Amino acid sequence: MTQPIKPGGADESYVVENLLQILWKALSAVQLYSSNNKIYLQAVDALRGALTLVWQRLDELQLQVSESALLWEDKKVLSQEDKSDSIPWTLFKDGVRSLTLSPGVEDREIIAFLHVIKDARLLAAEDPDDLLTLLWEEDFQHLRYGFVEISSDDVPRIQADTPVSQSESTPVSPGEIRGRLLREVEASGDTPEGVVDVDDFHSTLYFLDDWEVEYLTGEIDQEYQQNLRAKVLEILFEVFELQQNTKVRGEIISIIDSFLPHLLGVGDFQSVTLVVRRLRKLLDETQELTPDHRQAITALPVKLSNPTALGQLIQSLDDAAVQPTKDDIADFFGELGPHVLDTVLAWMPKLTNERVRETLRQVAERVAQEHPEQVVTALKTSDTAVLLQTLQLTSSLKVARLVPDFGRLLRHADTEIRRAAVDALGAIGSASAMKQLERSVEDEDRGIRIASIQYCVQHRYPGVLQKVEAVISGRALRGADLTEKKPFFEAYGLFCGNAGVDPLYQMLNAKRMFRRKDDPETRACAALALGKIGTPEARAALEKAKGVKDPLVRNAVGSALREIGL
Amino acid sequence: MTEPKVPAPKPRKSLALAMESSEGSIREHGRDFLIAFYSALRSLKLYPVENDQVQRALDSIFDTARSLYEVEGALELRVSHEFLYVNSVRLRLNLNNYATFSHVLTTLRQCGIGMVDVEEGVQRREWQIFLSQLLAYAPSDGVPDLSGLWQRMAQGGITHILLKPPPEHDEAFGDSEEAKDVAKRAYERSVAVTKELIGGVRMGRTASAKKIKRAVQSIVDQVLRNEVSLVGLTVVRGYDEQIFTHSVNVCIFSVSIGKRIGLTKLQLYDLGMAGLLHDFGKSRIPLEILNSEVPLTEEQEEVVRTHPWQGVLALFGLRGHGEIPYRAMVASYEHHMKTDLSGFPKTIEPRQLSMFSKIVAVANGYDTPPVRSFGKGVPVRPDEVLREMRENKDLGYDPILVKALINLLGVYPVGTCVILDTYEIAVVHGANPDLAQLHRPIVRIVVTAEGGRTDGSALVDLASVDETGNYRRSIIKVTEGLDYGINMSDYSV
Repeated sequence: MTQPIKPGGADESYVVENLLQILWKALSAVQLYSSNNKIYLQAVDALRGALTLVWQRLDELQLQVSESALLWEDKKVLSQEDKSDSIPWTLFKDGVRSLTLSPGVEDREIIAFLHVIKDARLLAAEDPDDLLTLLWEEDFQHLRYGFVEISSDDVPRIQADTPVSQSESTPVSPGEIRGRLLREVEASGDTPEGVVDVDDFHSTLYFLDDWEVEYLTGEIDQEYQQNLRAKVLEILFEVFELQQNTKVRGEIISIIDSFLPHLLGVGDFQSVTLVVRRLRKLLDETQELTPDHRQAITALPVKLSNPTALGQLIQSLDDAAVQPTKDDIADFFGELGPHVLDTVLAWMPKLTNERVRETLRQVAERVAQEHPEQVVTALKTSDTAVLLQTLQLTSSLKVARLVPDFGRLLRHADTEIRRAAVDALGAIGSASAMKQLERSVEDEDRGIRIASIQYCVQHRYPGVLQKVEAVISGRALRGADLTEKKPFFEAYGLFCGNAGVDPLYQMLNAKRMFRRKDDPETRACAALALGKIGTPEARAALEKAKGVKDPLVRNAVGSALREIGL
Repeated sequence: MTEPKVPAPKPRKSLALAMESSEGSIREHGRDFLIAFYSALRSLKLYPVENDQVQRALDSIFDTARSLYEVEGALELRVSHEFLYVNSVRLRLNLNNYATFSHVLTTLRQCGIGMVDVEEGVQRREWQIFLSQLLAYAPSDGVPDLSGLWQRMAQGGITHILLKPPPEHDEAFGDSEEAKDVAKRAYERSVAVTKELIGGVRMGRTASAKKIKRAVQSIVDQVLRNEVSLVGLTVVRGYDEQIFTHSVNVCIFSVSIGKRIGLTKLQLYDLGMAGLLHDFGKSRIPLEILNSEVPLTEEQEEVVRTHPWQGVLALFGLRGHGEIPYRAMVASYEHHMKTDLSGFPKTIEPRQLSMFSKIVAVANGYDTPPVRSFGKGVPVRPDEVLREMRENKDLGYDPILVKALINLLGVYPVGTCVILDTYEIAVVHGANPDLAQLHRPIVRIVVTAEGGRTDGSALVDLASVDETGNYRRSIIKVTEGLDYGINMSDYSV
């Protein structure tokens, strides 16, 4: 907060010192906090307030800059010996020797100035900028700075040209000069050479016409709207095509090779896509490519889809370090080819950015659909997370040729993988997919068993009957609950035909030889299975059980009879 | 002589009000004020005061001035270098207003006015008298002098419009020794950096990106502040190898044209960089070809013609040291193509040349040897170069940009040696800031009517008129300075 002003003559000096202390604090706030942070905002307010107090006393504030201090009227008003944190040193080391602030600086420019100081402190020696270039770019109107050009003393001074060689005919004396001049004027006659006809220049050259202004405005707009990178890339490809010199072509390939990481770094996927397309065109259409060049050009897109390179790229997308459009990303991956699938799938579980995840999911889906062989490769990974991602992605694609690979995963140690494989096979739903699912009805995981049998039911797969029969007639379902028993019995009823009526009848009526009476849930499921069989025999069996006392069983019988039709 | 009324310090406007009136608002109102000022001047020049248009124009300036005063609590119109300031805010030129601003700037300068201070209570009648006096004012012997104007304003009862001369250091043509020295240093540093850059490529070294950037920034600064001095330096020959000075000259001319067509400061930087690097490809052309004193063979010509695309490849070598100079690459590639693409290099597909390439092409066309280099080939006078650029469509320059170049250089470009109707010989110092007087440049008299040499320190505006309204001096002929032992650069450095 701005401190109260001391009365008296030292007033001006005090407000300046006060301002610079606040400026220093504000710089810390700018360095540490984002612009919507409360502390940042308070610091900015305080700085504006301090400047306001200065303008009540001074028309402008002229500060001299030394290595360790800012001086006002030869008096140190900000002294900072520690160079690492010093405003004077930051200014001094890049050549700034004076600063002049004037009213209006508080509106925007003082904050921009602090940001410049902050940015300048982060610059490395090899960076293309220093404090002076950054200050220049701000085009301050209320903040002037005086500076010295460091290490420019050795620049030779410009001098007037060496004296004109005097030939014998060069006039020297005033009389000779005048004589020559008169002769020249006389020789040129009434319309001397070199005199403009004013009409030539009248009006047309004074001001630009409206249409000319419009033309220039349009051209300037276009200059700044054009995709310069793409334009430069087109130039490179054009030179490549026109210049058949091997060395030149080699240089261009090398430029493109080292240019690609830069393009990716700035998120210019459009340009990278253009490069990949043009490279392919070069391979297809350019004659006289040397084997070396052909090989180098072929290698460029492959380099891009290298898992490490692609991983970097996806990471930068996820970090939102670059934000190309969804279409640009999709086009780019499309150009790279199917082998990117592994890497994309490997990254998908790690992505935090929903937009990127969705975009890459679509990319992966497309590749998987068009190139199932790539999914096969991906399904061989030992990385469970990736495998799961692949299964989840591909399950919706219903790619029949992946059935054996999904089937292989039904033996995977990880329950989630097995479950995802079941879903993938279930989604495909073909006989071969169901065949793979047969063994899963005996899986150790209850969810997998239920899902497997449900898919068999859903796709009316009779091949599962033998397994189901074994399950329902054995002990496997003894401890199971109704939700598990029910699909098994339904499956049995669907596929067993009249051959199942008798065993089901016995279960329903608890008349199985040498066995303990079945529990009501099993009996109810047997009734439902009879309903699924739906034959007169099955109906007859159900009719006989209509009088059963257990309400659960009785209801199931009723329901089954209704299914058959009264 | 009537003592000028020195404006008393005005009370500072209230703080709240100061905060309220943003810079943008002053710019907007200031621009309106300038337009009203210009319209009133123009109407008064064309019509009698009773004319409706004049009356409307006077209403307009009275109203805009009053509303600016009400918002700001003050109204000052100040001339500094090539800019106009309203209440310390610099008014920005753009394509739609530069002619208006230029006219007002010239009018004030011609009258020797550095500041117009408008006080509260100014009457409409005072505006009318003040503007009429401005139009009627003719400086004695072409030297602006405010005293006569002060006197007439006092006689006209103008008490709320106060005039001040420009500050001492702000010479009419921006040509103080200090300013000249700054321009020279900027030029020298730029040439040194270009030498380091282009020469470095041959030696396998790279120039500091910071230095290149600073060089272009300082050229932009100088073009904005003191264009005359900087453009004057482009006529100097022999300072360094032509390839280096040519690059800097093209940078200067490009930025100056850019300024004429209303580019912003940052756009001027982009353009300047493109100009400075446009011939970077020549760093790959063998020196024996570049420096050949004899006409090149066809084969050698072909090698030289590769420099545009060689430049693109070479500029990629700079990228490790900073931003990639895309615009410079495009300008390097396109600056010899000509607007109808009949130049070189040939292209596979039709293309639209970039605006910056076209500007660089025009700047390059004006500064290209042997046109401007007196070291080889037949020297061509600058005015002839301009005329050729304007008239010969086969050269393939954008005619509107050539127009802008002529606006920049005047009909007689800097360094042109002219014979005046007084039989004096003069060297053109700069274009007349009044666009209506492009054919009447500012010159230095270097030889008197009697044939005696002068030190050339006095600047003369060929647009100045005597008491009868006749021009004091006119050009009757362009001549070759060397024939009179005149070294043009003696007057630029």
